[in-house]
Amino acid sequence: MLTKFETKSNRVKGLTFHPKRPWILASLHSGVIQLWDYRMGTLIDRFDEHEGPVRGVHFHNSQPLFVSGGDDYKIKVWNHKTHRCLFTLLGHLDYIRTVQFHHENPWIVSASDDQTIRIWNWQSRTCISVLTGHNHYVMCASFHPKEDLVVSASLDQTVRVWDIGSLKKKTVSPADDLMRFTQMNSDLFGGVDAIVKYVLEGHDRGVNWASFHPTLPLIVSGADDRQVKLWRMNETKAWEVDTLRGHMNNVSSVMFHAKQDIIVSNSEDKSIRVWDATKRTGIQTFRREHDRFWILAVHPEINLLAAGHDNGMIVFKLERERPAFALSGNSLFYTKDRFLRYYDCSTQKDSQVIPIRRPGTPSLNQSPRTLSYSPTENAVLICSDLDGGSYELYIIPKDSVGRSDVVQDAKRGTGGSAVFIARNRFAVLEKNTSQVLVKNLKNEVVKKSSLPIPTDAIFYAGTGNLLCRSEDKVVIFDLQQRLVLGELQTPFVRYVVWSNDMESVALLSKHTIIIASKKLVLQCTLHETIRVKSGAWDDNGVFIYTTLNHIKYCLPNGDSGIIRTLDVPIYITKVSGNTIFCLDRDGKNRAITINATEYIFKLALLRKRYDHVMGMIKNSQLCGQAMIAYLQQKGFPEVALHFVEDERVRFNLALESGNISVAVASATEINEKEQWYRLGVEALRQGNAGIVEFAYQQTKNFERLSFLYLITGKLDKLSKLMKIAEVKNNVMGQFHNALYLGDVKERVKILENAGHLPLAYITASVHGLKDVAERLATELGENVPSLPEGKTPSLLMPPSPVMCGGDWPLLRVMKGIFEGGLESAARGGAVDEEEEEDAGGDWGDALDMVDVDGMENRDIDAILEEAERGEDENDEEGGWEELEGLDLPPELDTPKASANARSSVFVTPTQGMPVSHIWSQKSSLAAEQAAAGSFDTAMRLLNRQLGIKNFAPLKSMFIDLFSGSQSYLRAFSSSPVVSLAIERGWSESSSPNVRGPPSLVYDFSQQEEKLKSGYKATTSGKLTEALRLFLSILHTIPLVVVESRSEVDEVKELVTIVKEYVLGLKMELKRRETKDDPVRQQELAAYFTHCNLQLPHLRLALFSAMGVCYKSKNLATAYTFAKRLLETNPMESQAKTARQIVQAAERNMTDTTELNYDFRNPFVICGSTYVPIYRGQKDVSCPYCTARFVPSQQGNICGVCDLAVIGADASGLVCSPSQVR
Amino acid sequence: MASMAAGPDHLFNLRNSFYLGAYQAAINNSEIPNLSQEDIVERDCLVHRSYIALGSYQLVINEIDEASATPLQAVKLLAMYLSSPENKESTIASLREWLADPTAGSNATVRLIAGTIFMHEEDYSEALKHTHSGGTMDLHALNVQIFIKMHRSDYAEKQLRVMQQFDEDHTLTQLASAWLNLAVGGSKIQEAYLIFQDFSEKYPMTSLILNSKAVCCMHMGNFEEAETLLLDALNKVSDDEPTLSYSDAKDPETLANLVVCSIHVGKPSPRYLSQLKLSHPEHVLVKRAASAEDNFERALQSFA
Repeated sequence: MLTKFETKSNRVKGLTFHPKRPWILASLHSGVIQLWDYRMGTLIDRFDEHEGPVRGVHFHNSQPLFVSGGDDYKIKVWNHKTHRCLFTLLGHLDYIRTVQFHHENPWIVSASDDQTIRIWNWQSRTCISVLTGHNHYVMCASFHPKEDLVVSASLDQTVRVWDIGSLKKKTVSPADDLMRFTQMNSDLFGGVDAIVKYVLEGHDRGVNWASFHPTLPLIVSGADDRQVKLWRMNETKAWEVDTLRGHMNNVSSVMFHAKQDIIVSNSEDKSIRVWDATKRTGIQTFRREHDRFWILAVHPEINLLAAGHDNGMIVFKLERERPAFALSGNSLFYTKDRFLRYYDCSTQKDSQVIPIRRPGTPSLNQSPRTLSYSPTENAVLICSDLDGGSYELYIIPKDSVGRSDVVQDAKRGTGGSAVFIARNRFAVLEKNTSQVLVKNLKNEVVKKSSLPIPTDAIFYAGTGNLLCRSEDKVVIFDLQQRLVLGELQTPFVRYVVWSNDMESVALLSKHTIIIASKKLVLQCTLHETIRVKSGAWDDNGVFIYTTLNHIKYCLPNGDSGIIRTLDVPIYITKVSGNTIFCLDRDGKNRAITINATEYIFKLALLRKRYDHVMGMIKNSQLCGQAMIAYLQQKGFPEVALHFVEDERVRFNLALESGNISVAVASATEINEKEQWYRLGVEALRQGNAGIVEFAYQQTKNFERLSFLYLITGKLDKLSKLMKIAEVKNNVMGQFHNALYLGDVKERVKILENAGHLPLAYITASVHGLKDVAERLATELGENVPSLPEGKTPSLLMPPSPVMCGGDWPLLRVMKGIFEGGLESAARGGAVDEEEEEDAGGDWGDALDMVDVDGMENRDIDAILEEAERGEDENDEEGGWEELEGLDLPPELDTPKASANARSSVFVTPTQGMPVSHIWSQKSSLAAEQAAAGSFDTAMRLLNRQLGIKNFAPLKSMFIDLFSGSQSYLRAFSSSPVVSLAIERGWSESSSPNVRGPPSLVYDFSQQEEKLKSGYKATTSGKLTEALRLFLSILHTIPLVVVESRSEVDEVKELVTIVKEYVLGLKMELKRRETKDDPVRQQELAAYFTHCNLQLPHLRLALFSAMGVCYKSKNLATAYTFAKRLLETNPMESQAKTARQIVQAAERNMTDTTELNYDFRNPFVICGSTYVPIYRGQKDVSCPYCTARFVPSQQGNICGVCDLAVIGADASGLVCSPSQVR
Repeated sequence: MASMAAGPDHLFNLRNSFYLGAYQAAINNSEIPNLSQEDIVERDCLVHRSYIALGSYQLVINEIDEASATPLQAVKLLAMYLSSPENKESTIASLREWLADPTAGSNATVRLIAGTIFMHEEDYSEALKHTHSGGTMDLHALNVQIFIKMHRSDYAEKQLRVMQQFDEDHTLTQLASAWLNLAVGGSKIQEAYLIFQDFSEKYPMTSLILNSKAVCCMHMGNFEEAETLLLDALNKVSDDEPTLSYSDAKDPETLANLVVCSIHVGKPSPRYLSQLKLSHPEHVLVKRAASAEDNFERALQSFA
């Protein structure tokens, strides 16, 4: 049982779930009805109008109503929104046991100790039917969820099913008056429109509860005979199906589970029992120590139950609903029902992978709890609570996705939890000993290790590391080093989520999220009032998590916020950009798109990525009071400044961020005394005297202004101010200014004008203004005040200011980080990447930080250099020591016995056969022999097969083949290198220890490539290059190996193609050499056109032959070439020349010189002498390249391929193992 | 037989660095507090073997004096053997004397060094005489390598099984099984690759790991990827290990494998070969290439 919420109160007699909101109503024996939010765990409201116990309570399924019935015989209908009892239904004559709303009609059914069941219309507020028949208290009555039936249970030991179909027919009739009339009738004559359909007898004592199955024609009842009975009904009858025995006392309430095939009952024996509805056996029992259970409630939508007992109630669920899952890259593996399933986050494709074992025992909460996946081995570990904790290891066959339906024989074991810690290793926790067993994929124990703390669960923590959880802390333990890498005090951690780079980890507890580094250094802690359900890291290092009803984010500094609300709980599996992938409670994958702007912005701010911040300010509408408040609170008023349009807010932010110029602009805009004053204060603080002056002027604050002038030494302005004061008739101001100015005459004048003649006189006389004093004395007459005696007065002059005028010098021009950027952005329009980067540079200059960094770096560099120098010195010292000579280790006396004794048993095995030997034994392919290093064998083979005798051109290839057949592995330090034979045709399924043929350097596709480039070189007239390429093909082919027969034919074809080109090109090159012999030149050109060439090349040959012959005035021959050229459909430029030659030749169809060339008679060309061998004449050929020769060439090396002996016996090209077999 | 772990293993990182070819890291991180006397000797051995691996023979010869422990003396012997091939007879002679001594001759490090030296001498039976009985992971790993060199993978596998029984997850066990996998070939190559892949994910990249991965790729016929890895390894040596006297020498195996790869991808680069010839004239590939030329000429003679 998973308790979700618990209350303590008086005895709970009635319970009802709200169908949509996380609310539950509990009616108490004390008469109070409590409304709880079981998710938040708070009491929302209480309704206290019943007198005596309230036994029945029920929410309406759509309206904000609930109904209650109690021992005061009253049925009350309440509006919980307005917190008012709307009306009371009176009629029952004894305690009311249960009340229930109908799911569609405006009806309420009530059961009472007055032995009746009543059905009420709560709209007309009348009783529309009284169901009589029970002859004892009716303990419970409820509507059928779909049909027109009511089931009731009574202490008369019966359960009754009532048909209320006729009642419904009456209600639908339109005439309201009529209805009221019949209702009256029914009241008078008693229950004619509801008749007893079945009476179910079987219980031996009073029946306390009966309820319908939500979909099937089943009824379950519980009675004081301590039994639960299951009944079935059809159209005509109802009968007892089975009895569930087990409760030790009266069964108080029993119900079918809304979603699962189980029955839940509770009893005064202080237990709740769960039964399998099909097998009719007990599955589980939950007991309470002291509290008798009285009532059960099942949530209509979600998987929740509630039970009321003597001292409160509990809200609980029977089974965990979190699907076990594991993520690797984009691949999500999860369990659903009895299958392991696979979901691809990139394609959002969902498929079934393999069936997994179903628990044999029918108890609850045995389904897979966690899942661990090893991507390389495609292995899955599934852990469940079965047998007190066990795991199963499945290897997913590569090709079986979505196919097989056969349960694989999984490898099993017991253990608290099991996780993969490396590709092919997993750790299994032995809880009682706090040990882990490290196992391999064969489920064999590889290693045992005891854990540093008593551990009740282990989690993955990077390769070879485990995160061990105990009640109040977690540690990361390195299994190989046996070292604790980190430790952290935490509340009970339920889930562990690593960031994608494995640098940070989120530890999820019930109400807490702790973010820590990979060494478990605490980074931040978050508290949630609502349960934390799941989480995943996004690529920027923001942790996205869900509570029961929100998706939220957590920044690395611990700032969090809501992304959106949730209707139902989800389990986040992966966050990718704006998409959250999650599993819901039905095990369905969902992809939710979120608006990540807010947290991305905050993150950018936090990381001081002001360029991003800038971009986002410009491009998105994320402003709002909350964001401004956040910026202000986080000390970024200057950023907030850019969001705000409202001048007052702008002004405040500007002042806060010390941005005087913006403040001035805003103040001018607002133009109120208050703002000017505050501006003045801030400007004064910054020492910006100009602005201060301006602000004081704006507010006409002359006193402050004059003082400002005084301290800044602007005496001329001060005297001007004095004039103004005079004009304004502000005597005090005038006097002050005069005082500041030290202008005695003025002061006297002011005093005099103000009528303070004695003061004026004293001032004048004290300051020695004799004439004025005398004048005043006469004016005063006898009222001349006496001057103090014996004191020498001195003139009070204000000190001259230290510095005159101007603003205070500023330490550095702190150009607002954003100002520069914004201005440039304003100039350049939208902020694009480049500009941002530029701007970044500018900002960098403005920030002192950068310089400091530079300094530090320089220092470090210097230190490093010093250190290195130091090392060098050490080195030199080492060198000197060497000069002093080496001390060889002291020689020891050597009794030889023991060493021999050790070796006597051991017989060194004989050396095995190197792979190259195997190669040379097995192969009859020259290339493979060469690779194996058996050059002589290779040569003999080539000689036998192709008649090759000239091996010089093949030398480099032999050596390359040989060199390319081994790799070099550095194994144990300082020991000799291991050379390994590289084999050909590797595949994942090749069996080990079976030697494949050597890997060869040359293959057929390379030769085809060369052929292409040879063609290209020919086209572009680089004939020497082309010849080199073609020759190299010819030279390589004897050492090429192909696999299939058809490829062999292709190789042979290639030989003939290339041979033609080699011959042709050799002749063409020869022709270019023999410039002084025009006849030979023409002949060679002519023969060239008879080589088997590609069409473009043939055109070129024909064109050149045509030109050569035309020049030598062999017009008839030139004519034949021109004709042939035109037949090939040449380019216009060539065609034009050809046509001209045809025209010229037609006029004079003669040859000036005789050529050894008869194009009408088919011929081949001798590969050495380049003369035509006409059909019927004798010839010999090259056994390899099949070039033809005049008989006299017999025994020479072939002039075309330069390899084989002309006319030699040869068995033919062998270039594939398929030819040998 | 699963080994039951006791206290923390202080030398774990150092050993790992050494086995995986992060020699400079091993040297730099050798200051470990709270070491037992035994651990200190092992630590010093590892450090000096790292220096040897980096080619700083003289430093080792100078630093280890007569007062040092026996294992260290053996390490010094190895340095002397490798530093002056011309005097190797005298070195081997003193080695033999050591081995004849019952105390020194049974010391694991002495035996390890003996095995290494005789392996260089290609006297495998002499090497095995001292190493076959094993006792340490190092010795077993050396045995695996000796048997691989003798083309007796059946024996190598037996040694490996001993190692696996002792500690299947030990770095040397993993390495040795990768070596053997490479030697037997076929589908095992994939496993070898995965082992090196695991290392590269778990520990800092070293040229040894890169090189080993490249060898796997070559055996799987993927020469392009191998070449990339090798070029990485080549840069790694020059970037990360500006060592004391080793600075000019590129990792010979990397160069050798690069030569092979470049032949296979069809862009032969004589530079790597000449580089190798310059820095490591004694390397197997150089010798092999030279013998191939002779071989060719001789074969040609038989046709003339």
